[in-house]
Amino acid sequence: MGTVVTIDIYTADGSAGPAVSGGLTSARAVLQRADAVFSTWQADSPVSRLRRGEITLADAPAEVGDVLRDCAAARDASGGWFDPWAMPGGLDPTGLVKGWAAQRALAELRAPEVSGALVNAAGDIASFGGLGPGTPFRVGIADPFTPRKLAAIVCLTAAIATSGCYQRGEHLVDPHTGRPAARVASASVTGPDLGLADALATAIAVAGRPGLALLEPLDGYEGLIIAPDDDREWTAGFPFAPQ
Amino acid sequence: MKRTPIVVVATAAGLAGILAFHTSPSSLTIAPAAGTSGVPPAPTPPAQSGPSGTQRPAPGAGSTRTVDGPEVNYSFGVLSVSATVRGHRIVKVGIASLDDGGQFRSQFIDEQSIPMLEQEALQAQSANIQGVSGASYTSAGFRTSLQAALRSLGIS
Repeated sequence: MGTVVTIDIYTADGSAGPAVSGGLTSARAVLQRADAVFSTWQADSPVSRLRRGEITLADAPAEVGDVLRDCAAARDASGGWFDPWAMPGGLDPTGLVKGWAAQRALAELRAPEVSGALVNAAGDIASFGGLGPGTPFRVGIADPFTPRKLAAIVCLTAAIATSGCYQRGEHLVDPHTGRPAARVASASVTGPDLGLADALATAIAVAGRPGLALLEPLDGYEGLIIAPDDDREWTAGFPFAPQ
Repeated sequence: MKRTPIVVVATAAGLAGILAFHTSPSSLTIAPAAGTSGVPPAPTPPAQSGPSGTQRPAPGAGSTRTVDGPEVNYSFGVLSVSATVRGHRIVKVGIASLDDGGQFRSQFIDEQSIPMLEQEALQAQSANIQGVSGASYTSAGFRTSLQAALRSLGIS
């Protein structure tokens, strides 16, 4: 993936025992395994070989099938605005893999003494718990127009993903036309699972304002759009932090 | 009440693991995770609680070397990343050069001891947040130049 991932762990008394360091080791292994399997930058990764037709899905590691199942579900949930099969160059699950991997890495961090943890994969964040009982994590959303400014702050109960055309390396393609398209400056989605939130944020960034309606039937998922003119629109339950 | 995490791990596929400890809001230690065993070192207490932006140099044998990575394109222009290592420990990462047409240059170059990603700087400046969603403007170019710098140093 070539993504820098940051992991923060919070414990009640600030100590880091063997459960914490063991969890970190496992989390790193999850991320490195995901990169080895899914990286489209590595010519000999299973996904690269799958894209070239050198192997079939049956030959690929089991997690490829898992991710593609999640991609199909996300394609359905997003009304086709997220469609890894419709990408130029062939099947590309990258828009979901980063969140999927971070979510799985997070699962390795659970331990009785851990009151909360965040896995932040280049701005897509999976979390559980918080700073302490009754104190959720607060996460800023980058302002797409001004480096180093925040557009908003949210209270995070689980995951948040943000997609936007201002991010280098973010290739937003409209699956319906096959051409580059980004109808928002930034789209953020919060919800229980980072893989799906990642896919939905990508879908909404391509679809624009009508994309917010995609979230209505999805329990626990909320969204915020920052339009190219800095106008903002959000779903009713979007978890802005109280000011 | 501002809480800081007791341990932070930054890992980049293809790079040596980087382990950072937030010991207080204002001091940051960066050292690579233990290489071959894959087990992160046990957390060590800070030598000082320093002023904002101070980095405690990681202990380690070997000379200090700094390499500037190649210039790469990023959203607003061209940048190159500087990486400083002592022995095999990364002790500092910063912006070596930035050409963005002038608008943001002073902001970047003023930054002391720039952390791995701009969003950490955002985090440090902002009141009581534990993360930023939305990749930084420079992250792709930053990463590319940093990877090359680290390869030159024999780190990755």
